Amino acid sequence: MIRNMSQIKRLVLDVLKPHEPTIIQLANDLGDVDNVDGVNLSLYEVDQQTENVKITIEGSDISYDMVERVIENLGGVVHSVDEIAAGKKIVEEEETLHDR
Amino acid sequence: MNFNIEEGRYIILGSVDGLLATLGIIIGVSIGNVKNSIVVGAALGGAIALAMTNSLGAYLAESAVEYGKLTATEKSLLRKLENTYVESLTRKKIMRDSAAHGVSSFIGSLVPISPYLLSTGSPIMSIVLSLVALALLGFYSGFISKRNYIVSIIKMVGLGMIVVIMVNVLKLGR
Repeated sequence: MIRNMSQIKRLVLDVLKPHEPTIIQLANDLGDVDNVDGVNLSLYEVDQQTENVKITIEGSDISYDMVERVIENLGGVVHSVDEIAAGKKIVEEEETLHDR
Repeated sequence: MNFNIEEGRYIILGSVDGLLATLGIIIGVSIGNVKNSIVVGAALGGAIALAMTNSLGAYLAESAVEYGKLTATEKSLLRKLENTYVESLTRKKIMRDSAAHGVSSFIGSLVPISPYLLSTGSPIMSIVLSLVALALLGFYSGFISKRNYIVSIIKMVGLGMIVVIMVNVLKLGR
């Protein structure tokens, strides 16, 4: 029986990167990765040497390894994978009593 | 060619260096009816040596400074940046700055030599051409700094004249 890998449809990453290259270049390079339909980067913290960026990627079959390679090649580090959606469709997080 | 502000530093540095050092050689060597070929030989020799040392000096200095900055960034990121696009940008910057310093130094040197290359030159012609070149460099300096162009030109030409006067005073002392 051949087991198919689930297709990653959405990734939300917390990334630490140097100031150069800019998030513009990072967004362009991530957008060029195969099967990536769209990328959203938002800067939420800056210090003298580095900046923290939240990266949201959506696509049909995202390769996490490729995404990580692009980020690392541009000097970044993935601190954490904050959200991931895989499968045939994107399933949104459901609010429970805990969250209210 | 698209120059950024960082390269502008080495272009001005190299040009002024090459221009004034070579002008000093020409003024110093030009005694009485000295042959053109002697002046050209001395000036070109100085120009080439200056261009090479400026280029090497810039390479060593930039390597130390840029890799120092890279190391500081690596510490903040807690990772090495070897073989990344970031390191390649650093290497390219070092090479670009070294080339800018060396090439601009050589081109600057050609300004005072040019009267001797094109015809029977004289120190006066070299001085005049050099001051015109310094005025242009002053304009470029004003363009980069976005400050008063006239003040930048006056500074550049004024400093050049001080060098010319000093070299002539030393020459008269012989």
